[in-house]
Amino acid sequence: MAEPILEMNHISKRFDVTQALDDVSLDLYPGEIHALVGENGAGKSTLIKIATGIYRRDRGEVLLDGRPVQVHNSQEAQAYGIAAIYQEPMVFPDLNVAENIFISHRDRGPFVHWAKMYRDAEAILAKLDVNLDVRMPARGLTLAAQQAVEIAKAISLEVRVLIMDEPTAALSAHEVTQLFKLVRALRSQGVAILFIGHRLEEVLKVADRVSVLRDGKLISSKPRSEVTSEKVIRDMVGREIENFFAKSEAERGELLMSVRGLSKETAFSGVNFDVYRGEVLGFAGLVGSRRTDVGLALFGVEPADSGEIIFEGKEQTIKSPEQALRLGIAYVTEDRRQFGLTMPMSIASNISLPMLRRYLTRMGLIKQRDEIATAEEYRQRLSIRAPSVKVELEKLSGGNQQKVVLSKWLNADPKLLILDEPTRGIDVGAKAEVHQLINELTAQGLGIILISSDMPEIMAMSDRILVMREGRQMGIFDREEATQEIILTAAMGQKGGAAEAV
Amino acid sequence: MEQLRRYFRPEQLRELSLVFLIVLIFLFFGTQIEGYFSPRIFNRVTSDVAIMAVVAIGETLCLLTRNYDLSVGSVVGLTAFFTGKLLSFYPDTTMPIVAISFAIGLGAALGLLNGALVAYGRVPSLIVTLGTMAIYRSIIVAFPAGTKNVVTHELPEWILDLGRTNLFSIGGFNIKPLVAVGLVMVVVFQLVISYLRFGRRLYAVGSNPEAARISGLPSQRMVLLAFIMSGAIAGLGGFMFLTRYGDLTPAAAQGMELMVIAAAVVGGVSTNGGSGTMIGALLGAMMINLLQQSLLRWLVISNFWVSALLGLLILVSVTIDAVIINRMRDIWARRDLKSNQGDEKKMIKEKGKA
Amino acid sequence: MMRSILERLRGWEGLLLAILIVVVLFNTFSTPHYLQVQNQINLFQLHIEKIIVALIMTFIIINAEIDLTVGSVMGLAGCVMAYLFEKGTPFEVCILAGLLTGVLAGAINGFMVSYAGLTSLIVTLAGLIGYRGLARVLLENRSIGNFPDWFDRLGQQPLVGPIPLALIIFFVLLIIALIILQWSGAGRHIYVIGNSSEVARYSGVNVRRVKMILFVVSGFIAALSGLLLAARLGSMRGDTATGTELEVITMVVLGGVSIFGGTGSMFGVLLSMLIILNLRNGMGLLDITGEIQTGVIGVLLILSVLGPNIGRGIRDAWSRRRRVQHIHVGEVENRKEDNL
Repeated sequence: MAEPILEMNHISKRFDVTQALDDVSLDLYPGEIHALVGENGAGKSTLIKIATGIYRRDRGEVLLDGRPVQVHNSQEAQAYGIAAIYQEPMVFPDLNVAENIFISHRDRGPFVHWAKMYRDAEAILAKLDVNLDVRMPARGLTLAAQQAVEIAKAISLEVRVLIMDEPTAALSAHEVTQLFKLVRALRSQGVAILFIGHRLEEVLKVADRVSVLRDGKLISSKPRSEVTSEKVIRDMVGREIENFFAKSEAERGELLMSVRGLSKETAFSGVNFDVYRGEVLGFAGLVGSRRTDVGLALFGVEPADSGEIIFEGKEQTIKSPEQALRLGIAYVTEDRRQFGLTMPMSIASNISLPMLRRYLTRMGLIKQRDEIATAEEYRQRLSIRAPSVKVELEKLSGGNQQKVVLSKWLNADPKLLILDEPTRGIDVGAKAEVHQLINELTAQGLGIILISSDMPEIMAMSDRILVMREGRQMGIFDREEATQEIILTAAMGQKGGAAEAV
Repeated sequence: MEQLRRYFRPEQLRELSLVFLIVLIFLFFGTQIEGYFSPRIFNRVTSDVAIMAVVAIGETLCLLTRNYDLSVGSVVGLTAFFTGKLLSFYPDTTMPIVAISFAIGLGAALGLLNGALVAYGRVPSLIVTLGTMAIYRSIIVAFPAGTKNVVTHELPEWILDLGRTNLFSIGGFNIKPLVAVGLVMVVVFQLVISYLRFGRRLYAVGSNPEAARISGLPSQRMVLLAFIMSGAIAGLGGFMFLTRYGDLTPAAAQGMELMVIAAAVVGGVSTNGGSGTMIGALLGAMMINLLQQSLLRWLVISNFWVSALLGLLILVSVTIDAVIINRMRDIWARRDLKSNQGDEKKMIKEKGKA
Repeated sequence: MMRSILERLRGWEGLLLAILIVVVLFNTFSTPHYLQVQNQINLFQLHIEKIIVALIMTFIIINAEIDLTVGSVMGLAGCVMAYLFEKGTPFEVCILAGLLTGVLAGAINGFMVSYAGLTSLIVTLAGLIGYRGLARVLLENRSIGNFPDWFDRLGQQPLVGPIPLALIIFFVLLIIALIILQWSGAGRHIYVIGNSSEVARYSGVNVRRVKMILFVVSGFIAALSGLLLAARLGSMRGDTATGTELEVITMVVLGGVSIFGGTGSMFGVLLSMLIILNLRNGMGLLDITGEIQTGVIGVLLILSVLGPNIGRGIRDAWSRRRRVQHIHVGEVENRKEDNL
């Protein structure tokens, strides 16, 4: 076993009142893919940012090739051969692929030789077996392609340590396979790779070593061979979680919504389904299947071009979220930071927002006491952990923020609730609470559309599962007949003898 | 078609259409105005375009980094005025090189303040340059020298000659030093942003400031440099302004920043940073000036319509750009869907084999 | 968004209040009769149109937009009125036409921003140039005056006691603006949109309608102010009210409203208005010329954003130094970071 390239010894870091990292030691060896897992808030991001110089550690040391180093900023990190790739690819949309790869190089001279740059870029991409037009502006690339460009950039800079922070979050299964191919290629070139992921099956597929962080402490660090999925989860959570997903049987009520031939150009076409009160209709598919687009169409954010939506027996053309809300449709977005919450505002202000008119006097002034009362109700009901409902959202943890988002939409008294990746990026405990909530809601007679990329979650929580691929509907499966294989097959494009109609 | 798309960047198509439009305008007014194709008009237009184009170069450098420099008008005015005063006080001892250096140096200092506030003070460039626009203008009158205007008979001969002599003439069409300077600047800086790494990095900073920082690019220093250069170039523009007009009041070049930004925007420079060229800025300046001079002489409508039409022109340019980008995005999205299907088919076949 | 008075005083508004007191004290000591009613009224009179416009500009900037056309619309509305008046149109119609001009200009701005999706900066920059151009087309180089007596009287003479009409209008609009922004649902929507128009949209807020309304109101208020200005001056030119934008934006930004939207309050803007008015008054009494006064306003504008930045920088550096000295205690690092 070679010497570690990067050693992080006894690292501690504090933010305000939170001890983000507490005496964490981690070693990265050349030619090894080291997976780092842990719930949100466990400290993974903090550790990376210390390694790449974005944060400064309070205590501990970082050794590169056995010698202590101080990384003060990303420029220095780059000089040391340490690079990081994040969920959101950091490309320059107006520059082309080749420029993106070489823009931060220091040793190519003050002048740009375009022809040479194109040749060099193509060479690197060829090494990675990636097929891209180097002259194309990065804006036109898919997320996966942009990530490939970032990896090419890292290779061109001859990184020795590559840190990948949740790179697969927004990739389709096919793209993930491609990515892992690239990562393995890097490994064979002796790069030390630190890989952070939330999807355990993926992580375990590619890792050589698995380390688990919990609440800022390193719980375990073992070679892949000594690790099982259950052990990892136990280390992450600190307790046995028997049943993540317990779906209670609810009475299927009357028909709530019928959708026929729903289409939107460049997004999806020919979507047909029914949703009943008291049932959960899961939307399964790989990323890129455009399920979110269907959800956005139903909620009026990006209305469909054609097709029928019959809600509670009446045909509707849904053109705005205002309208959808009035009908009784609510939509909980994927990305709560970007679309779901107003961070500087209080919990109460966020919860009341969609239904603000309910809290106005005749003159249009806000009835603050009523707002607060409502917020308190939801604080109780969803166990939102916060000192008071007047606290600003940015002070809450991810899981609690998600609960505020849910409260906001529950407060809208929806008849149909569309949940888009409701448990993404929140810890296991909160996840279970969300599933419990879903059960309660169906028992109360709500219809729920559950969009999720978490296969076990969808399979366990749905009464029926609609599968989409690239904007087309591949089929709807009943709970009993659906197996992971059948769903996956449909999601990947082969119709294998399963029911297609409702 | 693929080949065409590969080698013709959208910006170049835009520039071509601008050239086309300019030619159209030119021809149109040629039919409307007596003696339109005369040397006199040519000389007037080219001189004004030269000054506007030069200042637009500096402005474009800032725009590329996703910043605005609203103070250029005041910088041009201030440097022109004070250079004029300098020459008035020491008409015999000040050499041309000193005068030019003074103007450029003064401009650079003014740009330095802008850049420092934006890059290191973290004050949005809109705020900084809105403020310095007023501050720099007020500096002119703050000095006792500012109470008297600059007048041509106090200026040394050579500076007036610079404005009058020609480098060479073809028929009556003169190429003045001003115009030569303008062209050289455009060419030089177009080369800078196309072939100098520093120039390409300016694009990067404007295209994605966050990524620029994380990639280790010295964004702050680059923004500072962009503003210093904008100021210095505006200083040069001030000197050119002085040679062109001679008689100056403290209100010299007031409002030029709007014209310059308009020229850049019409020329395809994005106010969101990351795209645009000096050639585009030059074409924008040409278009605006041509319109201005033409409407001045067109008897059908009063020349006061220029500003109104300019506003409309900017609006139309920006709208077209936005529409084009949206169109492109749709095309790319559709291409994506198709290519993904290709990948899927390959994967299914492989699965079948396995 | 209702913070207690004590909270406000500890923050930016407290600083503004302190500055205001300093300025007023300085003026009182350097000039006799400073606090007399007549002088105070004059103080407002000279800039009454600007502070009226600043009221609506506050809404617009909190909404994460900007309206650079206010000065030009003021001018255009006045010019439309003057032009029609010159042509012999009944004066009441002229006034109506002027107001309508503002509404139209605002509608165009609003349409471009909310429905065509262009950034307000470039749209209103084009409008700044364009509307001013139209004003010049109408009046060219002329100056039009001789308005009906009642008009001039309303603009120049006091209406109720010593208070002129414009000031009354200001107070009324101030109260309305305060109530709407701080305590009404519409105000809440404006803050939310300013924070993130996406979040607002996804929450069922009709973002387009709100933005459109704001720009139309801005156009109307600018037109109203333009007419008030014409009344006060007694005449109108093609370049009247040029450059108003700088001062109005300064009033708003100095008041603690972030140029990026989402934060700030009308209380702060009111305080900053008072500061700027008193400052200008004081400078005027000291015979400082208009250009230099404007330069001082420019300095204020920059300082109002630079100041807090420096303050934050000092606080950060200070806490970091203390941390280095007390390396065992793990001191607080006062940074706002996202997910750990």
